[in-house]
Amino acid sequence: MAEKRFDVTHMPGVATIAIVTFLALYIPVLILVVNAFNASDTAGRWEGATLRWFAAALDNTAFRRAALNSAIVALTAATLSTVLATAAALAVTRGRHIKGQGGIFVILNQPLLVPEIVFAIALMVVLAQVKQATGYQGLGYVIVAHTTFCIPFAFLPIRARLSGMDLTLETASMDLYASRFYTFRRVTLPLLLPGILAGFMLAFVISLDNVVVSSLIKSPGQETLPTYLMGELRRNLTSEIYAISALLLFASISIVAASWFVTRTRQ
Amino acid sequence: MLDIRSLSKKFGAGNSAFHALKSIDITIEEGEFFTLLGPSGCGKTTLLRMIAGFEQPSGGQLVLDGKDIAMIPPNNRPVNTVFQSYALFPHMTVAQNVAFGLEARGATPSEVAGRVDEMLEIVQMSHLRDRKSSQMSGGQQQRVALARALAPRPRILLLDEPLSALDLKLRKQMQVELKRLQREMGLTFIFVTHDQDEALTMSDRIAVMEGGTLQQVSDPRALYDHPANRFVAEFIGDANFLAGVIADAKLGMAGQPPVPLPRNEAANGPVTVMIRPEQVVVGPLAKDAITLNGRIETLVFSGNDTQASVRLQNGETLRLRAQNNLHAETTLTEGQRLQVSLPLDALRLLPQEAADAA
Ligand SMILES: Nc1ncnc2c1ncn2[C@@H]1O[C@H](COP(=O)(O)OP(=O)(O)OP(=O)(O)O)[C@@H](O)[C@H]1O
Ligand SMILES: [Mg+2]
Repeated sequence: MAEKRFDVTHMPGVATIAIVTFLALYIPVLILVVNAFNASDTAGRWEGATLRWFAAALDNTAFRRAALNSAIVALTAATLSTVLATAAALAVTRGRHIKGQGGIFVILNQPLLVPEIVFAIALMVVLAQVKQATGYQGLGYVIVAHTTFCIPFAFLPIRARLSGMDLTLETASMDLYASRFYTFRRVTLPLLLPGILAGFMLAFVISLDNVVVSSLIKSPGQETLPTYLMGELRRNLTSEIYAISALLLFASISIVAASWFVTRTRQ
Repeated sequence: MLDIRSLSKKFGAGNSAFHALKSIDITIEEGEFFTLLGPSGCGKTTLLRMIAGFEQPSGGQLVLDGKDIAMIPPNNRPVNTVFQSYALFPHMTVAQNVAFGLEARGATPSEVAGRVDEMLEIVQMSHLRDRKSSQMSGGQQQRVALARALAPRPRILLLDEPLSALDLKLRKQMQVELKRLQREMGLTFIFVTHDQDEALTMSDRIAVMEGGTLQQVSDPRALYDHPANRFVAEFIGDANFLAGVIADAKLGMAGQPPVPLPRNEAANGPVTVMIRPEQVVVGPLAKDAITLNGRIETLVFSGNDTQASVRLQNGETLRLRAQNNLHAETTLTEGQRLQVSLPLDALRLLPQEAADAA
């Protein structure tokens, strides 16, 4: 006899709620994207499609500098956090009962435990001292800060991939005259690669859209894309801002899509 | 060639320590097909993993070609393994898998290429050399695993239940192929199985293990014909155990007058008498046999023979196998009263164990 299980999709109204949620999530974004292509410079009145705002944005040196900074920060922070996350994932799944597994857990869950604004203020206070002491005003501070909160996001897919991996493969490699390093290079790493790529892209996206930490840590005059947008918004809402937002959105979506594609095809 | 000397293995420490192997002594000869046979959990894999270097012995020595290898890491031992799950590298092709051990050892590309071709030829997998190893059947993966392990020319090949994942037909076929390969190439195999038929048909010698100890090491024939104890007799083949008493070189059993034994092998006192069901003869025998009366309780027809369970007069049960020959003189029916004979030379006297007394 078939057992009747509770299935939430069979409850009345579920479909309606799902549709409303979907619309609430995506309609505003869609409107923004439409506005980015709107020839009129007052939002709400459609006067035909144009790429004018995108051209204006790309022509804007302040935007270009912010975009370059964002790219540098996201690339470096994603790379560093992926390397650290890979090491952490290997330590957690391979190191047998090493001391300090609890420590790794506390590190990895820092973004959950410590509210972002608290972390940002704390870091700001400390880094202000460092900036004064060293005189260094570069992007390094933002990169370090981003790296720390990106690690947990990079960690998750890597860890998932590692725990699904057959340990006898590494045993077999050692049996076939491979050293630990050779085994890592030719067996563990290639099998881990899809997880590492997914982790990297996740970290990249997380870094790309961060506002709170960036705006408190950056040195005067430095902007990333999100902090630049925040600054511009305070002055006035132009169609160029829609275009820049749309660009950020496209970047984010393509990276997430690429990551999804990579993890799906390279199982 | 390989001397296993008082090798033991404890997992854990203190009171919770588990003695997986207790002082194992075996000498394995060059070119031998040596099988470790025993029930699940008896320590077969543990012993194999110690020979491969994945476990450190807790005591004893492992001497290969005169050198103690117990402390040498697995990647420096001239010993390779065929894993039960095959453990082929899924991101590599068949040829890359076979090349792995040679490359890890630093062989030149031309050496590697030559040897890979040769090995793929031997296991008849040349046509699939560029196939990803994850896209193959169990039997094909098995061959690749074999080629990969043999490519670096190990002194000993370890095989941990390599055939257990295959279906019966393929398994029989691989048994034949494996045996042929081993014999033709003069390889030394240490083969683990818990399938007694597989062990009997393939091995030069078999070590029967139980609870981390060796019960008997012999060639298949001797193991079957002269089991050292009740465990071995029961684990390999089918066996009847009857109670007996030895007194002055005479064996008394089943309420019969004592008969003199051809060879006086046992000391006076109670013994367990073992006889294989196929050695029991229906009807009386003229000489050198103990003849008993009984009644057939159950009959099981199984194609080429019929198995009968006979209740003896003293209450003991005796199982026998009769060939289903059209021209056989007697036919058996359930409930039938009959005489059965136990030829003296088919009887094995086993030391009586605590469990038998009950
Ligand atoms: N790493 C370990 N830690 C603790 N106990 C272990 C460990 N490895 C094996 N054992 C124990 O040692 C005993 C022998 O295990 P082993 O794997 O050698 O058995 P086996 O003869 O290969 O059995 P099977 O036929 O099921 O493969 C088992 O009781 C097992 O639980
Ligand atoms: Mg085993």
